[in-house]
Amino acid sequence: MAVNAEPQDFLFLSEILGQPIIGPEGRSMGKIMDLVVTLAEPYPIVTDALLSTGEGQKTAMFYRFPIIGEKQSPFRVHSVCADDFRAPSLLENELLLKDALLDKQIVDTHGAKVLRVNDLQFLTARQSLHLVHVDVGFRGLMRRSGLEKAVDLFLHGLFDYDLPNQFISWKFVQPISSPDLLRLKIAQDRLSRIHPADLADIIEDLDMRQRSAFFKSLDVETAAETLEETDPKIQVSLIEDMNAAEASDIIEEMSLSEAADLLGDLPREKAEGILKEMERDMAEDVKELLAHPEEEAGGLMTSAFLYFLPSEAVDKVISTIRHEAEDMDFIYYVYIVDENERLLGMISLKELLVAPGEALLSELMDDRVVSVHLDEDKDEIAELFAKYGLMAIPVVDDGDRIKGVILFKNLLEVVAPHLGKN
Amino acid sequence: MPENKEESPKNIFQRLSQRGFWRSLGLLFALIGPGIITSNVDNDAGGITTYSLAGAQFGLSLLWILIPITIALIIIQEMCARMGVVSGKGLSDLIRERFGAKITVYLMIVLFLANLGNTISEFAGIAASLEIFGVSKYISVPFGAFFVWWLVVKGNYKSVEKVFLVACLFYISYIISGFMGKPDWGQIGKALITPTIRTDPAFLTMAVGIIGTTIAPWMQFYLQSSVVDKGLKAEDYAYTRIDIIAGSFTVNIVAFFIIMLCAVTLFQNGIKIETAKDAAQALAPLAGAYCTWLFAFGLLNASLFAASILPLSTAYTICEAFGWESSVNHKFTEAPQFYWLYSLMIFLGAAIILFPNMPLVAIMFYSQVINGMLLPFILIFMLLLINDRRIMGDYVNGKLMNGVTWLTVGVLILLSVAMVISAVLS
Repeated sequence: MAVNAEPQDFLFLSEILGQPIIGPEGRSMGKIMDLVVTLAEPYPIVTDALLSTGEGQKTAMFYRFPIIGEKQSPFRVHSVCADDFRAPSLLENELLLKDALLDKQIVDTHGAKVLRVNDLQFLTARQSLHLVHVDVGFRGLMRRSGLEKAVDLFLHGLFDYDLPNQFISWKFVQPISSPDLLRLKIAQDRLSRIHPADLADIIEDLDMRQRSAFFKSLDVETAAETLEETDPKIQVSLIEDMNAAEASDIIEEMSLSEAADLLGDLPREKAEGILKEMERDMAEDVKELLAHPEEEAGGLMTSAFLYFLPSEAVDKVISTIRHEAEDMDFIYYVYIVDENERLLGMISLKELLVAPGEALLSELMDDRVVSVHLDEDKDEIAELFAKYGLMAIPVVDDGDRIKGVILFKNLLEVVAPHLGKN
Repeated sequence: MPENKEESPKNIFQRLSQRGFWRSLGLLFALIGPGIITSNVDNDAGGITTYSLAGAQFGLSLLWILIPITIALIIIQEMCARMGVVSGKGLSDLIRERFGAKITVYLMIVLFLANLGNTISEFAGIAASLEIFGVSKYISVPFGAFFVWWLVVKGNYKSVEKVFLVACLFYISYIISGFMGKPDWGQIGKALITPTIRTDPAFLTMAVGIIGTTIAPWMQFYLQSSVVDKGLKAEDYAYTRIDIIAGSFTVNIVAFFIIMLCAVTLFQNGIKIETAKDAAQALAPLAGAYCTWLFAFGLLNASLFAASILPLSTAYTICEAFGWESSVNHKFTEAPQFYWLYSLMIFLGAAIILFPNMPLVAIMFYSQVINGMLLPFILIFMLLLINDRRIMGDYVNGKLMNGVTWLTVGVLILLSVAMVISAVLS
């Protein structure tokens, strides 16, 4: 961890709370109820203490936290002036530690886990307290409940085992106990470092209120990626908590087939509201996918893929791919169709890249293309994927016209929903 | 926070009718469960024993007490469900965040012991009921323990919940066996609405025992977690309330039939019993062998049901308080504390029954005492939490509701304390 050259200079929040601050005449000015920190990089600095009503004071006040010397417990101050007190309201970028963190849940952005805070650890440096670690271990819990010595004696005596501390560096801590905390500046950069699949796991671990606050704090793109990885039931509850405009922004960033699945799970009025807010092109594509049952080829496919006429040359095709890939769900196979969109053949991206630029698709394409009908069952499709070792299978209608492409990834979610998700 | 305040029943019905009958019915069935399951688990081995003893020793005179119990149960469970729906958090989560680590650690230790005691009595119930069918406890208990463990560890929560909902239906066996006792309904109806109070200690202890077994500490944690787990929202709260009221009625209807059956058969013939097993066996000559079998089957179902839920609920509650991964949907390595706690409770619960010469009656008795000592704390915590605007927003208790709840809780606390004192003195 960052600074631990002098371990004797560490202090726990549980050792500070409830301690009195002793005034110049040796009298208690009140007990420390909570600590105020100013968020600073890399570690927040303790600036004030919330004092209980002591002598000569009617209400709880913030009091400038005394300069920390060596071995200063209880905390003593040599002089008191009116400037040191202020009304107990937080400025922007300030946190009340006990209120916001102690006993509350946090996200460990390094391990991508939701944990509960048992204690906070400060480092005394440059005469002030810096919040460096969050204690999430059993040892911290035992310390808080006054059982640390007993448990040590028991474990050491019986099993020769020393209970370790489990600390998380503040750098990896994202407080989540209230929506305000998620709006703090630290939130975005810390959360954006987590993989969307891990973000989805975190969301599943949170309770309902925290979920939607947490989700709303993500930027649109991350939110869309995270939503794709989330359990369908939770997807629905997250989207139901948003208004149609917010929701449509996120859903537009999702892949077409995932978006269609999600909208299909929503109550009808909500889904229609969102479709109205969405870009027209995407809304229409989604509506088309929604027309098919979810477990059949039509419901599994995406319509964001590329197809060309056989008369196109390789160079032109590659430049189109480069241009369009951003909006596509799948680009590794390119399909070749006639003027009526009837499926003629396919070619892989690899084959395109190694082919001469002026060659025509009709010369290169493989016409032994495996396709399925719109109402093909998921198990049959799985068989085909396994037999032919494909990444995707095109879907055609009664007239053999291409309607969409089923990605292996999307099939897997339907055939083996338990894999990869908790 | 949603702006609509406490909904009056009238509004609920208005909304139900606006949504269309079939749609509402569908929603009701989708959202129902937590209240009914919790209440039914409450009719566990300990409950059935207490009801049988009440009927056999005091006849119909304690029947009326089920009416105030039903009301108290509805009031308390409604608070739990409301807290779950509004905060989206479990009760132990709220207690930890509001009252801190120290209180929570000690509370969880006591809760673990109390629930372990209850689990032991569930396994005793499994052993007793199957002994009536001639199965040795050395077979029934290990098999029951494995079944319960397997159900949760290898199954998934959806199927587990369905199994439990079906298990609730089997409580009908008590209602059927109640009719087999050929009761005199006029006399029973009169007993139900005539409060009889006697001041002898045995009568009072039994009255407190019935209340104690019906309103237990673990229930509040379990109910609130299941409400949260179901992802119920404030808009669906009307349905949850129906669920809870239905649950509270079912539990007391079953209790009614057990007390009534034992009163019209055992009490009127002056037969003394000490356990639910005695009750089942004594029924054979009076109401027929089928009645015994139904009674024993009911006991088996209740014990198995509660033996599945109690360890699960305990593991959930403790993990939630301490921030450990806790879900039946996780694998063993992902939630080790959860599965260890769960497995440990089942293992201990079952193993203790199999020890020869274990003082079972004493263990069950002391677990009731621990329950009784724990309940006041939990009820007070609940009241403090539900009146905290930071948690509940506009859904805090109204003045009237607060008066009624404090009164209920006050009476319950008084009774619990009385039970603990009388238990310690005797």
